[in-house]
Amino acid sequence: MKLSTLAAIAITLGVSTWAQADWSQTQNEAKGQTVYFNAWGGSEATNAYIAWAAKEAKTRYGIDVRHVKITDAAEVVKRVQTEVGAGRTGDGSVDLMWVNGENFRKLKNGGLLLGPWAQNLPNWDLVDLNKPVRTDFSVPTEGYESPWGTAQLTFIADRAKTPTPPRSAADLLAFAKAHPGRVSYPKPPDFHGTTFVKQMLLEMAPNKAALQQAVTPAAFVTATQPLWAYLDQLHPSLWRNGTTFPASAAEMHRMLGDGELKMSITFNPNEAANLIASKQLPATAYSFGFTGGTIGNVHFVAIPVNARAKAGAEVFANFLLSAEAQTRKADISVWGDGTVLDINKLPAASQALIRKTAPGALNEAVPTLPEPHASWVEALEAEWLKRYGSR
Amino acid sequence: MAQALRLALERNLPKPPGSRAGLPWRWLSALPVLLIFGPVLPGLYWAVNPALDPAVWQSLWFDGQWVQALRSTLVSSVIGTVLACGIAGLLATLHYPSQLWMSLQRRLPLLLSVPHAAFALGLFFLIAPSGWLARAVAHFAQWTSPPDWVTVQDPYGLSLALALAIKESWFLLWVLAAVLGEQAVSRQMVMGRSLGYSRTQTWRLVLWPQLLPRLKWPVMAVFAYGLSVVDMAIILGPGTPPTLAVLIWRWLTDPDPGLQARGSAASLILLTVMLACALAVRGLAWLMKLHRPYPTGQRKPAASPRWPRVHTPLFLLGYAVMAVLLLWSVAQEWFFPALLPAAVSLETWQQADGAPFWTTLWLALAASLLCLPAVLVWLEWGPKRLNALLYLPLIVPALPLVAGQYAALLHVQWDGTAVALVWSHLLWVLPYMVLTLIGPYRAFDPRLMTSARTLGYSPWKACLAVKWPVLLRPILATLALGFAVSVAQYLPTLFAGGGRFTTVTTEAVALSAGGNRRVLAVQALLQIALPMAAFGLAAVATHWLGRHRKGLR
Repeated sequence: MKLSTLAAIAITLGVSTWAQADWSQTQNEAKGQTVYFNAWGGSEATNAYIAWAAKEAKTRYGIDVRHVKITDAAEVVKRVQTEVGAGRTGDGSVDLMWVNGENFRKLKNGGLLLGPWAQNLPNWDLVDLNKPVRTDFSVPTEGYESPWGTAQLTFIADRAKTPTPPRSAADLLAFAKAHPGRVSYPKPPDFHGTTFVKQMLLEMAPNKAALQQAVTPAAFVTATQPLWAYLDQLHPSLWRNGTTFPASAAEMHRMLGDGELKMSITFNPNEAANLIASKQLPATAYSFGFTGGTIGNVHFVAIPVNARAKAGAEVFANFLLSAEAQTRKADISVWGDGTVLDINKLPAASQALIRKTAPGALNEAVPTLPEPHASWVEALEAEWLKRYGSR
Repeated sequence: MAQALRLALERNLPKPPGSRAGLPWRWLSALPVLLIFGPVLPGLYWAVNPALDPAVWQSLWFDGQWVQALRSTLVSSVIGTVLACGIAGLLATLHYPSQLWMSLQRRLPLLLSVPHAAFALGLFFLIAPSGWLARAVAHFAQWTSPPDWVTVQDPYGLSLALALAIKESWFLLWVLAAVLGEQAVSRQMVMGRSLGYSRTQTWRLVLWPQLLPRLKWPVMAVFAYGLSVVDMAIILGPGTPPTLAVLIWRWLTDPDPGLQARGSAASLILLTVMLACALAVRGLAWLMKLHRPYPTGQRKPAASPRWPRVHTPLFLLGYAVMAVLLLWSVAQEWFFPALLPAAVSLETWQQADGAPFWTTLWLALAASLLCLPAVLVWLEWGPKRLNALLYLPLIVPALPLVAGQYAALLHVQWDGTAVALVWSHLLWVLPYMVLTLIGPYRAFDPRLMTSARTLGYSPWKACLAVKWPVLLRPILATLALGFAVSVAQYLPTLFAGGGRFTTVTTEAVALSAGGNRRVLAVQALLQIALPMAAFGLAAVATHWLGRHRKGLR
């Protein structure tokens, strides 16, 4: 055996034992820490799941996880910015946050994230690398955030009132014209509203490759021109003639339930099933996607650079990535959020639980379209607000 | 004897202005106020600083949203304030003094204890196109889907104006009731009536000219609240664009420093609007002074004209709001056009998170109890001329103040602590308490204090043994109001508490991002229950403590 091979083996062994030692040291350090997990608190299913995970973290690792319920991750970005700007570099109020897309890009570019750490987590080995877990809206994650779940834009309708749903942007326009005042979408910069606009952009843009690059003024004008023409046509047929929009997807679910709207929108293909179970939608509600596909993405957890309980946050993130936590999250009777793990690496019982479905959930194959580059979000939102924000 | 009395008087009576002996007391009484207000000043400087750049104003000018946002803000706050004053004034003129007035006064605490956010939610459940009223119509008109009405979130902010008008009319009625409860005022009504003037005449000639100046600050607070309200505007106000306050809130919480600066600049606009309106009202008051009615001696003893029972819909609406919230909190399936839920259960209540309730309870208790001594010593010994400064938090839009508090807390690294949270609430609890108590306090018959001091009590002891016990009723009411103000705080809780303290209010607003009306209703009801308990306790305590003293009840 060559010396170099021996050395390589030694180094590999050394690295792996060093990594293990390192992780158990992280776990020791994490014990007794309090992790403030800042995550959107607008859904009871999500809140209940996080409460379960916090309880498990307490018994298994001795970590106190507190869910700080927020309405918009942008608020947390601002908080971290302010804290670091005020010179508070090691004693921040946020230890772990639920994030993706534009907010991640801002944090990463601003040097406000701890990292790289995500790919050193023991449970990283279970992650399905075929899913886009290493880029976030075309921005490389580089270990600055750990994948948590997958999402895909999905529409909801009521079979009793809408037996055949629209299957494309053009369909939607015809549908809206046939049912004036009964179609709408959340107002950007609401997350779901912006995604709706991006979905339409993906269908309309002449050159789709340009959307995967950072936005430039010239590319923006070329790519978005058909989009604005489409929206100009669509808006007069929308709810309240498109002069105003629902504030959130949750508000649209309520309006769908009451028959005020004919369609709602979600990022979780299983959400309609949850809403039926909690009596927020009638039992005749169902999910559907567009034939050409809908936008899908991955959501992550990240640790701010000034977090107080960095070790605790890493250990909790690792737990969130465990087979057990991911299976429970994917269980439709708990939350129904798609897993980021490779299903084939999971035990059979987990696989069955993940494949479980319920009335109302999406039960058709809808192709996944990649998110445009994160920099498009801000440009799209600004232009949308300029055109339609104050009518 | 006479010599001894004169010496005692000289020692204890207030020194003439300019005397230096009163100063330590004065400083000591101002200390709590300084602790509450002082740290905000440097914070405010940091918060407003970005708005000094002309480029920020340029970007605001070209934003295009602010004109309409300002319009809906003005419409909702001006109409809301004018209507609220109108309703409260009309009810007082028509019904004071009477049995009906007494019963209105007794029923007020129940309505007052409904926080703004909870009231807005309940009103939304009532008047939305899929709300209770539309369901009632649908029942007869055979509708199957909600009508295409714009009853809430209208572009002009009219539904927001309606909500503000109703909610604030209760507040103004309550202020009026407190002022009218004073012996000096009620005696004047008796005097006017016994001289043969009708009730309306006495109001016009004697009571309003006296009461209007005293209502100046409460009305200003109502107007300022309407200008800078965020939670109600999110629920009932327009969305495209929202009211200016909501727009500023969004800008200030945006990660982009450019937008944050735009928010600072826009909050200066809000401040300017406030100042302009205050000046306009001052001008109006001056004009009214010129044309002050003078009793000509002509009596109109005829019964006051028959007015419709204005108070009935006003109070009914309040009860309907609570009823619809209660129904939603126990509803199972309840879709349009069903008038009542298909089934009811206590499931939502059982699953409700109790932690926010307890956090709100200790927080509001701490804030109101800490403020009470501060308010009392300030009113007794504090520099009277600086009262206007104390009211600034009610008149300055809350957003930059909260940002200022947060900046100050960050510098001492106290953000996210319980102490910081309580402190941040005091900035609003204190002025509201001073505002409520100052009327009864000024109207206190000074002869009682003179007698007490003549009999040898020190100023401190005279207050403890005579003045404050006599003022027990307004003091307890003030305490309850302070509690209610703390319960309703949203922005300071979020910023100063570092998002780590969940109160029923922050929980309700966080949940309003999700659309489950049942959970929202439960949080709204919890939000109502806390102040209601406080006002109820204050009323019961007053009644019990004053059971042998006619004047105290």
